[in-house]
Amino acid sequence: MTKAAELAKMGEVMTNSQIGGRRNIVINGAMQVAQRGTSSTGIGASAGYFTCDRWNINTGGSAGRLTMTQTADGPIGFANCIKLDCTTADTSIAAAENLILQQSFEGQDLQAIGKGVTGAKEVTLSFYVKANAAFNFVAEWQDNDNARFVSKLFATTTDWVRHEITFPADVDDGSSPFDDDNANSAALNFWLHAGTTFTGGTLGTTWHETAANRAAGISSFYSSTDNNFFITGVQLEVGSQATPFEHRSFGEELGLCQRYYQLFGSGTNKPISNASAYNANQVSGVISLPTPMRATPTIDETSGSNYFRYVSNATNFHVNDLDLDISTNERVIWYKGTSGLTGGSAGWMQTANASSYFALTSEL
Amino acid sequence: MINTVKKNISPITEELCSYKVTLINSDIVKSVPLDPANADYQEIQEWVAEGNKIEEAD
Repeated sequence: MTKAAELAKMGEVMTNSQIGGRRNIVINGAMQVAQRGTSSTGIGASAGYFTCDRWNINTGGSAGRLTMTQTADGPIGFANCIKLDCTTADTSIAAAENLILQQSFEGQDLQAIGKGVTGAKEVTLSFYVKANAAFNFVAEWQDNDNARFVSKLFATTTDWVRHEITFPADVDDGSSPFDDDNANSAALNFWLHAGTTFTGGTLGTTWHETAANRAAGISSFYSSTDNNFFITGVQLEVGSQATPFEHRSFGEELGLCQRYYQLFGSGTNKPISNASAYNANQVSGVISLPTPMRATPTIDETSGSNYFRYVSNATNFHVNDLDLDISTNERVIWYKGTSGLTGGSAGWMQTANASSYFALTSEL
Repeated sequence: MINTVKKNISPITEELCSYKVTLINSDIVKSVPLDPANADYQEIQEWVAEGNKIEEAD
């Protein structure tokens, strides 16, 4: 790039207010945080969060299966990426099938876009991607509040390539801004497999409301068990220019992730919280959350024989799982029925099996 | 996918405080708050709208 071009680009960036403050709307774009674990196999039957925080596998209808890992690979400046590895192929694609790597966003975090009104701004997506071969996949910016979509194709090679995609502003008719609340207003979607329900039309590169135009022209990740897909350095920012990736510290990124998911213990002998016997048959505890969560969280845990133990007065009281009592997005009270307790006695709750885990979730 | 949903009664308030959810083919269970902003609560409402029943507490 010539000096003149650099100055022109800088001027545009400054005009669009892309300098200063936090730029990246995406959380965990460098795939640093993986509270749920670094590898999950057999993914594809149902949607969910499996490895890297905030990155959801949204899937439906396909017999294809994959392994998702946080992998120590990336272009210069990135230690980690998400790797998707096809383990079961699906070459008979039914109409409603889909496979999407997705991150969703609260509307209150998107107000800078000014969507749906005069003066609405473009947003620019950038990311690094590679695969085992050349594929065409789709990056989509999805407005959940108004069921509107805009998509762009991108190509993979066997080497890391940074793509920069600017989605147009959605001025619409002035009736479709993002809701200013903690609900799911938008999603960034990487379409990797889809049937004709989503591919039967013409790719919608301007804002539209037609399902068949969402992923037209894409390859299928499930075409062969040889297939894999790597992605990292995902950034979504207001404006028309892709700026360098905004690296954040691990601690900062973890804090952002904990608004949606907090792991308290996985495996044996991991502390959950202080606890006390409410009476002879109930034990309970209060957890003050290190980060206020998006909404009152769900207890997400494994349940099995003696998976948890309340330790009090040098005695173990085992239970299979814990239940949620009155709680908020900042404090959680859990409880569990058992027997033989001394009302008022104090102790703590901990995991008691290699398969035990206890987490709180308030994902979108 | 949801297998069963059962009411949890708070030992403190003696009122409904959360739902216990079991999943199909999984040892994972969820204890879901009565918060309309919670995605699991929303999923339970959809599950009920499909004709499924929430079990009473033990």
